[in-house]
Amino acid sequence: MFKQLSERFGPWVSLGIFLLMFLWLVMLVILPQILMIDYSLRPNLPPSQIGGPDDQYTLKNYATLANNAIHQSIFFKTIWSSVLVTVCTLVVCYPLAYYLAKVATPRQAALCVLLLIIPFWINEILRTFSWFIILSYRGPLNALLLSLGFIDRPIRFLSGDGGVIVGMVYAYILFMIFPLYNAIESLDSNQIKAARNLGSGWIRTHYRIIIPHAKPGIATGCIMVFMLSAGSYAVPALLGSPGSRWFTQIIYNWFFEGGDWNQGAAYAFILLLLCIGFIVLMMRLFKVGLGDIAR
Amino acid sequence: MDSSVHLDNVMMRFDNFVAVQQTDLKIESGEFFSFLGPSGCGKTTLLNIISGFLDPTEGTVRIGGQDMRQVPANKRPTSMIFQNLALFPLMTVAENIEFGLEVRGVRKAERRKVSERLLNLVALPECRDKRISDLSGGQKQRIAIARALAVEPRVLLLDEPLSALDLKLRQHMRTELKDIQRKTGITFIYITHDQGEALTMSDRVAVMSAGKLQQVADPMTLYRTPATPFAASFVGENNRIEGQVVAIDGTRVTLDCGDLGRLSGHTHDTFRLGDKALLFIRPELLTRRTSMSDNCFTAQIRELNFEGAYLMMEATPLKSQHRLRIQLLSDMNLGDVAPGNLIIFGFAAEDAMIMSGARDV
Repeated sequence: MFKQLSERFGPWVSLGIFLLMFLWLVMLVILPQILMIDYSLRPNLPPSQIGGPDDQYTLKNYATLANNAIHQSIFFKTIWSSVLVTVCTLVVCYPLAYYLAKVATPRQAALCVLLLIIPFWINEILRTFSWFIILSYRGPLNALLLSLGFIDRPIRFLSGDGGVIVGMVYAYILFMIFPLYNAIESLDSNQIKAARNLGSGWIRTHYRIIIPHAKPGIATGCIMVFMLSAGSYAVPALLGSPGSRWFTQIIYNWFFEGGDWNQGAAYAFILLLLCIGFIVLMMRLFKVGLGDIAR
Repeated sequence: MDSSVHLDNVMMRFDNFVAVQQTDLKIESGEFFSFLGPSGCGKTTLLNIISGFLDPTEGTVRIGGQDMRQVPANKRPTSMIFQNLALFPLMTVAENIEFGLEVRGVRKAERRKVSERLLNLVALPECRDKRISDLSGGQKQRIAIARALAVEPRVLLLDEPLSALDLKLRQHMRTELKDIQRKTGITFIYITHDQGEALTMSDRVAVMSAGKLQQVADPMTLYRTPATPFAASFVGENNRIEGQVVAIDGTRVTLDCGDLGRLSGHTHDTFRLGDKALLFIRPELLTRRTSMSDNCFTAQIRELNFEGAYLMMEATPLKSQHRLRIQLLSDMNLGDVAPGNLIIFGFAAEDAMIMSGARDV
């Protein structure tokens, strides 16, 4: 690779590129992670004892989660809710992505994409707060439902996980739409026509022809949304109720309220490892390879 | 079973663009019917109307006598072979063929029987479990045919299915398609811009230009007596010479063709003296003469192409700008047929077609 680069750009530029890549990977990704692993494996000691005889490597921080039933339940609820967010986002995005890729004229598609992107010019906290307002007990959504006669009294949307899930679906829509759109767009429209021509109805055309083709895009979108929701802090912090704490909030508390970085690092790693494990499991289940995703 | 296709006053307009003008046509049950025309002439639009992917702006389609207006594309007794074939790449060959049956809820064992029969029909029984990407171009072609036939359509629609194949394979597939059509008795509606394909396979051909049917006839009639100047120049090669009517004797018309002098031919149109007209003469009907007489001219050979059984040449008559294409059998005594030489050519008046230029499109 270095040879190819140096043939094209000369040795100095290539060396520069490699150095930058090295700096980025090592200084900004690998070293901080190693530092955190190191933290997670040490006990939380007052500064005077760091480096002293008690500063031994231990798995104590990891064991904390195993002994704390409340944290465990929050952990599994986080995973479960993230799955829910992912599924909801997929359900919301698939028809839209299909419309953009195969039905809309170029003008309509451009307008639609613009309308999708504009809200993301506003910062995440504000966007999430606006959902807080919309979903609140005396908010516009309840007012609308009341005036239309669908409900007799306001619903507490924000008391359970509902508000968090709605907020996250909204926050991560683009991460789902674009991989889906790319995947569906690359399908030859004649395939859809051919399926119809052979007698296939719309539902079958989708699950036999379009969805199998779009599977890598669906996988990419789902992984992104799942990882983002499992690791989200702002949305649950703003839209969550005391009963719907997210695991990230516990990690945050260890770091900044408990002051126990070692414990926080261990929790963060458990979350990371289990999320990766979960994704690998899902990829096996749906027979998606890493190569498919990179396509 | 009645598998005729009727187009009753079918017209298709996109915004302000008329893709297909008022068309009235009956395609017989079991016929091999071709639409022949240059790209953009509306032939694919017609195919999409018959298959139900497009609703005509006006008029109706009837298949087997049944009005298709309320019948969606997936419920019509038609089956289409796409230009790019549109085989499903994520399914095996057998799954592709069986897809239409799967949709109809046919049991697996039954489906398997059908796909085996069809794989035998297209002579690819060993490809059953192969992936589509492992097939050659010709094999894909045949699988596409098998897939389309699996649903037992009454009408098979073919949208230039041979255009992606190389010449030898294309010629081979022509006979094979014709063969399959004879065996199955299904109505074939074939779309092409290749007149060779249309002439060799079809029972009847409709020549289309600018959304309008120019002529519907069997291949021989189409070649021998084209009805419009467009049909005359699009189907096969033709020399087109402009002139003015100077004499009329029944169906025989003589034109003053300027530098080429007076040339006569026969016509189905009516003319008055002084009308502008077009004379069409096929390259193979221009023959070599030993002396000058009526319908003859001396021409200088410009270019000579040896094409095996015959010679194709371009020649310019003396004092003229015309470039005529002439085809001679390449026998041994070609003698002085060489670029630069002057040779006398002529044609029989009954071989030349004279048409009114007004209908030219």
